[in-house]
Amino acid sequence: MLKRIWSNIAAWFLDTARVMRREFRLVFASPGAMLFFFALPLAYPIVYALIYNPEVTRDMPVAVIDNSRTAQSREFIRHADATPAMKVCGYAADKAEARRWMAEKKCFAVIEVPTDYSQRIGRGEQGVVNFYSDVSLLLRFRTFMESMTNLQMATDTQLRSETLNSLGVGGLVGGSNQIQTQAYFLGDTQQGFGSFILPGMVVLILQQSILIGVCFLGGASNERRRANGGIDPLAIPASTSATVIGKTLCVVALYIPLTIYILHYIPHWFHFPHEGYVWHYFLFIFPMVLASIFLGITLTSIASEKESAFVIVVFTSIAFLFLSGLTWPRYAMQPVWKIFSDLIPATWGVEGYTRINNNGATLEQQTIPYLWLWLLTAAYFLTALAVTAYQTRLLRRSRR
Amino acid sequence: MNPAPGLWNVIKREASLLSSRPMWLVGILLVPVCMALFFVSILGEGLPKQVPVAIVDMDHTDMSRRITRSLNTMELVNITQKADNFHQAMDAVQRGEVFGFFVIPSQFEQDAIAGNGPTLTFYSNLTFYVPGTLAFKGFKTLGVTTAGQVVHTDLVSKGAPSQMASNIIQPMTVNIHPLNNPWLNYSYYLSTSFLPGILELMIFIMTAYAICHELKRGSSPQWLATARGNIWTAVIGKLAPQTLMFTVIGFGMNALMFGYHHFPMNGSMANLLLAMFLFVVACQSFATFVCCVVPNLRLSLSVCCLSGILAFSLAAFSYPVEAMYGGCAIFSYILPVRWYFLIYIDQALNGIPLYYSRLYYVALLVFPILATVALPRLRRSARKPVYVP
Repeated sequence: MLKRIWSNIAAWFLDTARVMRREFRLVFASPGAMLFFFALPLAYPIVYALIYNPEVTRDMPVAVIDNSRTAQSREFIRHADATPAMKVCGYAADKAEARRWMAEKKCFAVIEVPTDYSQRIGRGEQGVVNFYSDVSLLLRFRTFMESMTNLQMATDTQLRSETLNSLGVGGLVGGSNQIQTQAYFLGDTQQGFGSFILPGMVVLILQQSILIGVCFLGGASNERRRANGGIDPLAIPASTSATVIGKTLCVVALYIPLTIYILHYIPHWFHFPHEGYVWHYFLFIFPMVLASIFLGITLTSIASEKESAFVIVVFTSIAFLFLSGLTWPRYAMQPVWKIFSDLIPATWGVEGYTRINNNGATLEQQTIPYLWLWLLTAAYFLTALAVTAYQTRLLRRSRR
Repeated sequence: MNPAPGLWNVIKREASLLSSRPMWLVGILLVPVCMALFFVSILGEGLPKQVPVAIVDMDHTDMSRRITRSLNTMELVNITQKADNFHQAMDAVQRGEVFGFFVIPSQFEQDAIAGNGPTLTFYSNLTFYVPGTLAFKGFKTLGVTTAGQVVHTDLVSKGAPSQMASNIIQPMTVNIHPLNNPWLNYSYYLSTSFLPGILELMIFIMTAYAICHELKRGSSPQWLATARGNIWTAVIGKLAPQTLMFTVIGFGMNALMFGYHHFPMNGSMANLLLAMFLFVVACQSFATFVCCVVPNLRLSLSVCCLSGILAFSLAAFSYPVEAMYGGCAIFSYILPVRWYFLIYIDQALNGIPLYYSRLYYVALLVFPILATVALPRLRRSARKPVYVP
């Protein structure tokens, strides 16, 4: 009795190993699978890093309409030109000319100094400068606005101390002894766009390359089954659990070096934020890799041929990017989308990895995403079992 | 005389092909429509206000409580936690419970009134850009107004009239006018660029699929025969049903955004719809060109997916082209969606005269010309389909 149990267990391990070996052979024999498992995760992070590597946008052209034509207005414009964000591209005679420049894309914003700018300041009233900005890109506007706000505050401080000194009360009020503010940016200290988007993006690339690769292999198997009366001649006749686990072990083995490359070397090489402890983010991402593989196996049920993987998986990258909360925070999502995003491994992967990698969080602080990832691993394992059991029913029957 | 004999037969053949597998309907209709509804719905609020933040009040005075209350009344942020010290607040950030925190140092009120220049510190988590930026904006406004209030009270108590005190504190101001999107609605950037992006991606995929699937199945000689051996007839007939469907979906997307959701439309809808039609044809031409160069289902699909996905970054919907490296920026211009996006900005968002967008329309017309030039290459592979597994 005990002997039979032992031999069954041994047979199961042997089957698993056979499935794994066959899967390796299938991957390395198929240029398509190699493309998704190697070329995609190796090349994409670098491509994205190169696109976003300049991080910030600098010296954007700005037109000036100076109706005041005073020393003060010229000084303000000189200071605007000196900010990293802006570069004065020319003086327009009036709004119509500035508008034309904007339409011709010669400038993205217009600074208009009204006639009475200096007069009002001299009279102790408030001088007003108008800043018109194109808002076709959020990043451009954000950079403009930040620069303009800082410039306004610097100009105010300067003018204020001049006024207070001329009133003879400079030492008593205002001056340097008023309340100061100090802003710190966490995670992405340089406020760069690449440093923000890349750490989340690489996690998504990890998941999507797994999904599309597994789907591709599954589609190929489905094609063979259709051509051979429901039996895949290249499949190993093994139990459902041995098949699923064997396939999974193969992909896990492939993804260990890739994960190290994506999560460790890419941020390291390109100087993206990279805090966190190595073991914390590797332990964290492990269930995400597992859950992605199981999800991929589940999706093979609808991949009738290899190329279906493109139609099924590729567009989801964009949807998953939004559901992950990287660009649109999860607290502002409608409940239905939040539930939907809960079911995607990358949502939790992005959440946890970016916090460990950018904010230097520990694994313990990511308990909730970590538990969710294990929960999804378990759930998708069951669906993968169900799908595989259905697909290999004829194969197992034929062995009996 | 019929100018293109066989065209109608190819269209009929294609229609029966399209209805033979659910994948076609999923790829052409279901995915773009669902994604359109998804995007417009998920970004529905426009701006993710009420960012959860923490406050660290180490002063515990009347003034610090007033600052806390002011912070909580802002629409941008929402105080969800009160932390006792920096470490507690930082822990909340690392756990992802809050996106930033505002620190009021101990003895703040005392130092402020005595003129010792205390410092208000605030931390915003830019790991998540949008909420981090909004939290920063809220904190900064609060910091500056608090500083101003103290000086104002001081000046008024020393006998300055209230209005004059205000002007002394802020002698000049910059009125920032975000043109044509004064609400800074996030959806107006993202939906308007990502929906055409999705459409482009699906057109790329489905076009490459339609053309190269003939080669994979080995049915391309029959396809060519239906078109009486004319590759132009064959391709036009094959893609025409898809052109119609994708154009209708594109119009539907615009109707959803500009009609139902009242996105800013300061120009003429007709110009945008014309651009949409040209865009659909340009995308199909791009994919056809790829199929001519690599007449293999898997490879052409890979190239199409690669460019379709990279388009979301390269077409510069969020990160401007002029800031990219030249080597990357150049790829932006080979993507149809880049030109459509530029037309959208000019004709819908900013509503400037059509004259300034003329070159973008021309650029969209270049794609079909390129594809036409490459078609003879496809004829060769269609005559003798070689399937490479």
